Amino acid sequence: MQDVLVGASAVTKDFHVGKITVNALRGLDLDIHKGDFLAIVGPSGSGKTTLLNLIGALDTATGGKVEVFGQDLSGMSRRERAELRLRSLGFVFQAYNLVPVLTALENVEFVLELRGEDGGRRATAMSVLEDLGLGELADRRPNEMSGGQQQRVAVARAVAAKPRLVLADEPTANLDSENGESLLKMMRQLRDEHDMTFVFSTHDPLVVAYASRVVTIRDGKIVSDIRKNSGEEAPGEGVEVRRKGTEPPGDGTEVN
Amino acid sequence: MTGTSTLRIAWRNLGRNRKRSVLALAAIALGQFIFLAVAALMHGYMDEFHGSITGPMIGHAQVHAPVWLDDRSIDITIDNVTSALDAVRADPSVEHVSARIYAPVLTALTEEGFMSFVVGVDPASESHDDGLLPGLDAASLMGEGRVLAGSGFARRYDIEPGAELALVGQDVDGSIASGLFTVTQVISSPVDIVNNLGIVMTLDDAGELLAMYDQAHEMVIHTRDLDTVGETVARLSAVPALVDLEVLTWREIVPEMVGMFEMVDVMLLVVLGIVFVAAAAGIANTMLMATFERKHEFGMLLSLGCGPSRLARMITVEAVILGLVGVVIGTALGLGLLLITQQTGLDYAALGGASDSYEASYKGLHLSSLVYPRLYASDVLAGMIAVFLTALLSVVWPIMRIARMEPMEAMRL
Repeated sequence: MQDVLVGASAVTKDFHVGKITVNALRGLDLDIHKGDFLAIVGPSGSGKTTLLNLIGALDTATGGKVEVFGQDLSGMSRRERAELRLRSLGFVFQAYNLVPVLTALENVEFVLELRGEDGGRRATAMSVLEDLGLGELADRRPNEMSGGQQQRVAVARAVAAKPRLVLADEPTANLDSENGESLLKMMRQLRDEHDMTFVFSTHDPLVVAYASRVVTIRDGKIVSDIRKNSGEEAPGEGVEVRRKGTEPPGDGTEVN
Repeated sequence: MTGTSTLRIAWRNLGRNRKRSVLALAAIALGQFIFLAVAALMHGYMDEFHGSITGPMIGHAQVHAPVWLDDRSIDITIDNVTSALDAVRADPSVEHVSARIYAPVLTALTEEGFMSFVVGVDPASESHDDGLLPGLDAASLMGEGRVLAGSGFARRYDIEPGAELALVGQDVDGSIASGLFTVTQVISSPVDIVNNLGIVMTLDDAGELLAMYDQAHEMVIHTRDLDTVGETVARLSAVPALVDLEVLTWREIVPEMVGMFEMVDVMLLVVLGIVFVAAAAGIANTMLMATFERKHEFGMLLSLGCGPSRLARMITVEAVILGLVGVVIGTALGLGLLLITQQTGLDYAALGGASDSYEASYKGLHLSSLVYPRLYASDVLAGMIAVFLTALLSVVWPIMRIARMEPMEAMRL
């Protein structure tokens, strides 16, 4: 049995919009294992981003239990959750990922500084950028980079402190196919070489195609959980896995 | 954690909306400039005023016969003035002491007659910088019927050196006093009575004219340290030779002037308050807008694990930089104005549209519309502290917003 990094059991999450209560998650169970390259898919409003936020300690569940690295998030203070995010998690967002007034190098270095790392921060940040082939972007500010380049730098920042789990919310939503694929390849390489675990919330079939595991959520519940190399069948309900003009991923997996 | 990134981010953030930052800087700089300009003018005016009062006019302290100040009658005198002067000089804190005689007289010049005022002084004791005749070789110009005439007085009655003045008045015994005196020089003095009415003569000549022998109306004292004048006065009051006289500090003699100085301090505080409000408006507006516009960015940073205190520090540093840069620009402008005007002076009359500067008197002081601005380090510091505190105050609300901010809510908006 692989190590369980995240354990969610009977998780519910309600939002109150005026007098209306929206049940975003309705008793959801999910384990995320070390090395997963997991895509959470589902239609808009299905609860995938809500789930990602709960796993990322950005929000708290209304009911049930979410454990990250064995720690129950429900008992954690705001400060402790922030500390967990800083020390053990990496985040990649859909947009506005970087501090606009800092260069790529400074953005990466900033997270290391937040973690309290002193001497050698700059060298570490530079080496992360170079390892990911982003060395030439080091001195550029976000407005001097393309969307794809910004997202790649955001990934570099997310992984700079070697977190065990990286959460990415729609990371390819604003990218074209070529940049999206390049980003995914980079993340999968990080998973393979640095033993990191990636969890995506996504609509993008390209991400689904690259994922090793696809969890489909509908109306706040998991309707399918497919581990591609496990021999289980891929979901067939309206999940379009291939973007127009995009070649299937090179790991031999094809999802219909 | 070092503050390198905090400083870097704060500094660069100010360049994100340059127009807004420049406007805020301009408001702060203008506020500081106005405060410094007003402070420099007021200090220039009031320091001259203060210098004149504690200089030639009142001195640091005075000795009189009781009720002289209320009555100023010629027969209320200090007797045995020589021994009284010796007693005052014996106090180690006394630097200068001089006796003076004052008496109104009628003056005749050829066919004209007019009112004037005899001021009897000891030229040697009045020639120091704070005396009535600073830098003047008065001893060679006065005595044995030779006198000096105030410039306003001389101008009004066409009195020139060499003019012979016939003085008629009442002596200390109530008899007619008269004498003929020759003007040797016209002098300008900040003491109004000397400038506009004064015929300045030696104590001996005045004593001869008014039958005041070893007598005077007041003794003017300059101490080595103005701040300790109260202690000096207390000591002198107990000296046997002075025990029947009243010894007063300048503050006791002209309390209305003290009130005026205090009023100026209050006015400067009001101006400082205006600077405070201008700076607060500039900084608070900038920081509120910046916080609102960067809500998403703050959400992202909170998501990464950045604490609200770190964000608060970032905003605070940003506000403080904005305030300090503004205050430095305002200070540079203020010092520039000071540099330009402190040599030539600034003419209030010209500022008001008049072609010539004017002279006026207030409470016995002769004043000019020409002011030499003067600034103290404490003024600059006061402005800086005010802006610094404003910067801190102006970020309270943005910081409170940040403290309540949930990362995902901030990122959603």
